[in-house]
Amino acid sequence: MGKTGQPLELALPQGRRTSSGSGTLFLLLLAPAVFLLLFFYFPLGSVLVGGLTDSSGRFTLGIAASLLGDPYYLRIIGFTVWQAILSTMLSVLMGLPGAYLLARYDFRGKRLIQALTTVPFVLPSIIVVLGFVRFFGNNGILNRSLMALFRLEEPPLRILYSLQAILLAHAFYNFPVVVRVVSSLWRRIHPSTEEAARSLGAHGLRLFFRISLPQILPALLSAAALVFIFCLLSFAIVLVLGGGPRYTTLEVEVYRLAKVSLDLKTGSALALIGAVISLLFLYAYIKLQQRSSFAEQMAEDAEKPRLAGMLGSVRGVFYLLYLLLMALVILAPMITVIAYSFQLRSGWAQQAISLEWYRRILSGGGPYLRAVVNSLFFACLTMLLSLPLGTLLAYVGARSRFTGSRLLEAVMMLPIGISSIILGLGYLKAYRQLPWRIVGTWYSIVFAHTVIAYPFVIRVASATFRKMKSSLTEAARSLGAGPWRLFWRLELPMARSALITGAAFAFGISVGEINASLMLYNERLITIPVMIYRLIGSYNFIGACAMGSVLMLFCFLAFLIIDRAGGEIG
Amino acid sequence: MALRIRGIEKIYPDFRLELDLEVHQGELLILLGPSGCGKTTTLRLIAGFIDPDSGALDMDSRRIDNLPAHRRRIGIVFQDYALFPHLNVWDNIGFGLRMQGWSPGEARRRIGELLGLISLEGYGKRKVTRLSGGEQQRVALARALAPQPQLLLLDEPLSALDAKLRKSLRSEIRRIQRELAVTTLYVTHDQEEALVLGDRIAVMREGHIEQIDTPERIYNRPANLFVGTFLGQANLLRGRLTGWFAGRDGQIAVVETGVGKLSAIQPAETRSAKAKLQVGQEVVVFFRPEHCSLDRQPSGRTSRSNRISGRVARTEYLGSHRLIEVEAADQRFTLDLVDRLTPAGGDEVSFSVSVHNCWLFPR
Repeated sequence: MGKTGQPLELALPQGRRTSSGSGTLFLLLLAPAVFLLLFFYFPLGSVLVGGLTDSSGRFTLGIAASLLGDPYYLRIIGFTVWQAILSTMLSVLMGLPGAYLLARYDFRGKRLIQALTTVPFVLPSIIVVLGFVRFFGNNGILNRSLMALFRLEEPPLRILYSLQAILLAHAFYNFPVVVRVVSSLWRRIHPSTEEAARSLGAHGLRLFFRISLPQILPALLSAAALVFIFCLLSFAIVLVLGGGPRYTTLEVEVYRLAKVSLDLKTGSALALIGAVISLLFLYAYIKLQQRSSFAEQMAEDAEKPRLAGMLGSVRGVFYLLYLLLMALVILAPMITVIAYSFQLRSGWAQQAISLEWYRRILSGGGPYLRAVVNSLFFACLTMLLSLPLGTLLAYVGARSRFTGSRLLEAVMMLPIGISSIILGLGYLKAYRQLPWRIVGTWYSIVFAHTVIAYPFVIRVASATFRKMKSSLTEAARSLGAGPWRLFWRLELPMARSALITGAAFAFGISVGEINASLMLYNERLITIPVMIYRLIGSYNFIGACAMGSVLMLFCFLAFLIIDRAGGEIG
Repeated sequence: MALRIRGIEKIYPDFRLELDLEVHQGELLILLGPSGCGKTTTLRLIAGFIDPDSGALDMDSRRIDNLPAHRRRIGIVFQDYALFPHLNVWDNIGFGLRMQGWSPGEARRRIGELLGLISLEGYGKRKVTRLSGGEQQRVALARALAPQPQLLLLDEPLSALDAKLRKSLRSEIRRIQRELAVTTLYVTHDQEEALVLGDRIAVMREGHIEQIDTPERIYNRPANLFVGTFLGQANLLRGRLTGWFAGRDGQIAVVETGVGKLSAIQPAETRSAKAKLQVGQEVVVFFRPEHCSLDRQPSGRTSRSNRISGRVARTEYLGSHRLIEVEAADQRFTLDLVDRLTPAGGDEVSFSVSVHNCWLFPR
């Protein structure tokens, strides 16, 4: 009976009804609902109202329509989507071979490479920016080396502040996402289908397009959609590496309108357009994820050939080179930042190693130590808030089935589709009218970070709650565990590693967050990423790199915890 | 404790479960049936994971169907064991004791006792994920038994194990169940398991019970064709009832079939349930392969046994016995023989089967 499934599935919600009434459910959801209402939906609504009313407060589509008729803004919208498409294509092309190698071969250091694919999820974008500037910049390692090597007077490569710079940074930042998502499906597809096709005469590209591609397509599409959304909402990379109005995206323009032109009205209207675009693509992404994949019935990992045995062949050498390059590309910005932070003065000739900047950070007094302390404080509070919030919502979402539970899920996950620039704009707009001050307080930043981070806790936690076999909870109930003890004694302990992952995630997101922080900070509330941005702006690269190294240390700790706990991400 | 299921009904869009059943104190009752017949649903109704649409559940004449699952004091062994992966063997067995408020000292004593009962002394600190399938099975049994449940439910507990382990574990389950005299309901679709383990067997089909009786009587006096063919092998022969005559120990029917006229009896169980079969009615003659014996005389019919002759189509050697397939008038019959001398394929043979082993069922 159990295997036929049908009566079993019908049975579940009924069995649940006896254990948790809708009254308890309501009480459980009250606190998260109030929080989200005040610190997400109210500011979002304020942006919505701002974008849809004229100066006298009457409803109008005029502002948004006039933006859509303005060639300047049309170009921005077009560029936003265009650069995201190009970045995504580049990331997919760079990531596919890696996904193949990770799925089909065993080699020494595979564990490390796999761990490196987590990097985009925890490495703050400002570090990528910084590393990129130091590596590719006119005064960066690459140009300096080339100049020294070929005795050139001028830096030969000028890729900063261009479309190429944006695309390269996006691709370097995001291709590990493709490697990670695609290889995790590819490894579950048994190689026998590829072997069968080979025995029937297919090989090379034909084998890939006819047999492998259709099977990995669900993962490929969802990875591409994820990268696309990342690039669409990318802020720091475009802000710095785009370097001007020619390469401006919606996010950057909204930021400029809000912080530079102080035009919240136009900012809101543009934010509205941006939100519609990003939500459309997010919706497409969710639809893609729901598509069934062939791999679900596939068995566990098959034995894989070892790469070490292929090093005699051209193909093997090629594979090895790719892997080395992949590791280098992921690690390069980080290494560059760390290495540069120990220099005494800007300039290539200066070789002296110095701890000058670390001394300055630790000596206090200046704004540097304050940024570090602030960042840690915000990150810890964000973690403490988003963990119970995300866990509770994930639990309710995974365990209760009632009419409207799909809607509830959408309401819970909406912050993922709203960029943090828009969130920051909402805070600026919404809380101006309130009698008590919110913007400019430490908790405004903590709450904004929590809104950004908790959906990731939900994702990790709800996957675990959903995966728990119903026989486990039934066993506990038959042994006398009521709903309360069922949760505390069984379900929560079993979700332990997922919750640790979620908490580390929340910490990492908060500590590296720059978008909302840049919108909301003041001198007292400055964070490490904002400090790095300002140091880059004043061409103080050594200081930026030192702060960057400190930031990476915290992110690395978060990464280690995630890696140890083994919870699933992405 | 005895369990009584009184008029329980559960209706699904494409499935309807209707049950009346009593499990006696200390008895091991088997729920047997093909997959999809409602065995597991029955178990989940009793456990309290599903609510019935109507009817009542009594435990020693105290109603339990209004209690939530965690107050029913029913121990369950799941098909996939459902051991808690974050707890070791000791804490898995102790989980129910803790939930039901046993003092730590009593719990410790009880857990030790159970580890002894399942012969896993010294395994307390082990991770459950590191145990073999058989060990996990035994821990699951101990966990269910630990808080001294009023009733033990087992849901195909051996189906995930290999054949050899299955045999040794089922006798262990039997021993433990006898030792503790715990009232037990055991769900399986394995007929051998059912025959070996059950004090009584309830054969289910499509949401209701077809027959409930001791293993011997279920096998030797099936109430209908479904029970007869679900348990054990059977030869079926279609025909038409042409008359009744009085035999030495009761009424004997004459049936016109493709292989000639055969005599058969209508088992008392089916006669009491429904009226006596009428002359002219379409019927099925049913006999088991092991009730057949080969003979070398010409075919025919006596008052005590039926003879059928045909050609050997296939033989299958199974060590202690041998299956022979005989083809006669487009019909295939299976014979289960322990004789040493057996015919080869293609031989003309005739076999006989006693009239009292030929049972008549309505078509």
